[in-house]
Amino acid sequence: MSRDGSGRAQVLSSERHGDFETKLMRINVGPVHPATHGVLRLVIDLDGERIVGLSPRIGYLHTGFEKTMENRTWQQVVTYTNRMDYAHSMGHDLAYVLAAEKLLDARVPERAQRIRVILTEINRIASHLIFIGTGLLDMGALTPFFYTMREREMALDILEMVSGVRMNYGYFRVGGLYRDLPDGFEEAVRAFLAVMPGKIDQYRALYEKNNIWVDRTRGVGVLSRDTALEVGLSGPSARASGVALDFRKAAPYSGYEEYDFDVPVMEEGDAHARMTIRALEMRQSLRIVEQALDRLEPGPIKDPDRRISLPPRHELETSMEAVIFHFKLVTEGFHPPKGEVYVPTESARGELGYYLVSDGGSMPYRVKVRTPSLPNVQAIEPASVGGMFADMIVNIATMDPVMGDVDK
Amino acid sequence: MVTTVSTPSVAESMVEALSDLSAERSDRFGQLHLTLPASAIREAVRRCRAAGLEHLSDVMGIDWLEYPGQQGPRFTVVYNLYSLRDSSRLMLRVDVADGETVPSITPQWAGASFFEREVYDLFGIEFAGHPDLRKLVTPDDLEGHPLRKDFPLGETPTLFGEGRFLDPASFRAGMMGRDRGRTGWVGGARKGVRSEQRRDPEADS
Amino acid sequence: MGLKDLFEKDFQELERDGILFSTLGRLVAWGRSNSLYPVTFGLACCALEMMQSTNPRNDLARFGSEVFRASPRQADVMIVAGRLSKKMAPVMRRVYEQMPEPKWVISMGACASSGGMFNNYAIVQNVDSVVPVDIYVPGCPPRPESLIFAVMQLQKKVRGEAFDQHGVELPMVEGWSRP
Repeated sequence: MSRDGSGRAQVLSSERHGDFETKLMRINVGPVHPATHGVLRLVIDLDGERIVGLSPRIGYLHTGFEKTMENRTWQQVVTYTNRMDYAHSMGHDLAYVLAAEKLLDARVPERAQRIRVILTEINRIASHLIFIGTGLLDMGALTPFFYTMREREMALDILEMVSGVRMNYGYFRVGGLYRDLPDGFEEAVRAFLAVMPGKIDQYRALYEKNNIWVDRTRGVGVLSRDTALEVGLSGPSARASGVALDFRKAAPYSGYEEYDFDVPVMEEGDAHARMTIRALEMRQSLRIVEQALDRLEPGPIKDPDRRISLPPRHELETSMEAVIFHFKLVTEGFHPPKGEVYVPTESARGELGYYLVSDGGSMPYRVKVRTPSLPNVQAIEPASVGGMFADMIVNIATMDPVMGDVDK
Repeated sequence: MVTTVSTPSVAESMVEALSDLSAERSDRFGQLHLTLPASAIREAVRRCRAAGLEHLSDVMGIDWLEYPGQQGPRFTVVYNLYSLRDSSRLMLRVDVADGETVPSITPQWAGASFFEREVYDLFGIEFAGHPDLRKLVTPDDLEGHPLRKDFPLGETPTLFGEGRFLDPASFRAGMMGRDRGRTGWVGGARKGVRSEQRRDPEADS
Repeated sequence: MGLKDLFEKDFQELERDGILFSTLGRLVAWGRSNSLYPVTFGLACCALEMMQSTNPRNDLARFGSEVFRASPRQADVMIVAGRLSKKMAPVMRRVYEQMPEPKWVISMGACASSGGMFNNYAIVQNVDSVVPVDIYVPGCPPRPESLIFAVMQLQKKVRGEAFDQHGVELPMVEGWSRP
């Protein structure tokens, strides 16, 4: 970038070919740009329309999550976890509570695990709907955005019914869930499941046979399997390049081993594969939701261990120990034993894991969030260098970074 | 009596493979950690990658300044490696003192670039040989390294219209067990609830 | 009816006959309020709710915000949707300065209005310290209905029908101003 950081375009070199003079220019894209999926800034070296060099500059949404989490109790951290990846917020909540439960050796009841799976998968579908809508919007197709947002409203209605908010749900707790499902949940989810497969076909009909979309995505931003692993890519973008990695199958958590679902893996590694694979994944998520919903049985929704969860109110009248546990939990929260733990999960963007370091206190000592979007942003460079500027926009859209996830 | 010998996972096999690099083994909550000296990290990562730990999950830092009972170097850099072949995970740890540099693995593994820059930005640990070591997430005019324990959180008091203000830090003061809170309350023990006794597998609540 | 009638007839009669009486300022303010084009300034989670407010269920376009302009030179209002980090603040100031007069700012969400749940070294605690804010929208994130209500309040402010928290009437936007 220019030495004074002013953001002005810079001419790096110029050559003459006969009467024709060409210049190699260094140009700034973002952080305020309609197509950079948030506040992502890229400094690119352009030779005409071809990108010769690319350097992402991030940090425009740095919120200091990890430092803030060191100053909140273990249960209060759940409020913060979902604000990082705001598109698939339950993925973050789930990853954190799983890590904290591993530290505490908590036993989460089956009903809570199944509800967690249902809600996380519905959230994953909502996240992929944003991906399709905004991805096509970046390529200039305005209509599919409104179609996908319409279905996302259905998904958000279900999630709002359960947690009270449309986004950034703090519904999971360390040990289980905040409260049980409301009436009408099952009908709403079944209605959603009935409607969605037809809608997914409708979206695909909107773009898949469109010549413009095919030309803009086939062969664009090809990432080989080796490059994907070199860069640390994970998630659907990596699976589109042949990296067969999905933590729901490789390291199952929260009961995922019980459900029968496929993980699509494609070999081409271009933008076309990256977009198609997420549409295929939405179908698999619907399968998981259906199976989990069928197996849902009544039962407790939180680990009854008094050291983690509040005792039931009627016990407070009779038992002194219950009152003491209640007091300790409300004033300080629980104290996990000293140690370090890491639990990887699969978010809509890739490998998501919380590395928790506990010193035995009521607040975490160190929370490191391994967010998928940070290495995914690194992948934009090998995908886009050598291609054209418009292809870079397609690559950013199909890597699906969420800047809250990148900058934390 | 039949004894079955199971093949060790890729991560387990690295314990043997890295034994000449003075690797110390520790198991934390079922996860294998190997502590290495900083000078050995490049060779160790090279061997791990060749053996099948192909996915670099993370490079992160921990500041032990306020950890109760911790002696030794101030920081630890943890390299989180994962094998796609058999889903095993290995954590390599390097203990670093304040001011020491760690050799960078970016020249051999390009994906570590952002991770190492983030550790440098937030902790101040320098990685020797990194092609472009500069701040990643914090603003250019921020001096210092935010995730260090001696860097303040930067809370500003909340001001209300009539001149009242609330100081958030004083509400939390009792919880760390060090200072007294607004009512003089000091928080509980720093020992974990089950640090001595693990959960009894027989007892069901 | 002839031009003579304009000067002789009562103005209620003329209104019934289809002639509207107003000032040029009010006419321009009415036009401006019903065509507020926001600039795309979505930062974080509130940006998704801002996008959701344009979807078929909560349609912001029927209030005049037909398109979100990517270029600040073509926009009237900046909806600061999301937490403003200190690294982003100079960028935001620059985008604000590139918007032509008259311009307004809606601070959407708790993080933009007051720092929200992030009271730390990285987040600006009130966007008002960087750009002058006209409307604050509480919520984390505010529902699309809240954002639409905020746009409606801004429309009232543009037309001169609004009052600030002390009950003082806020001036209507100027139809014609020379620097």
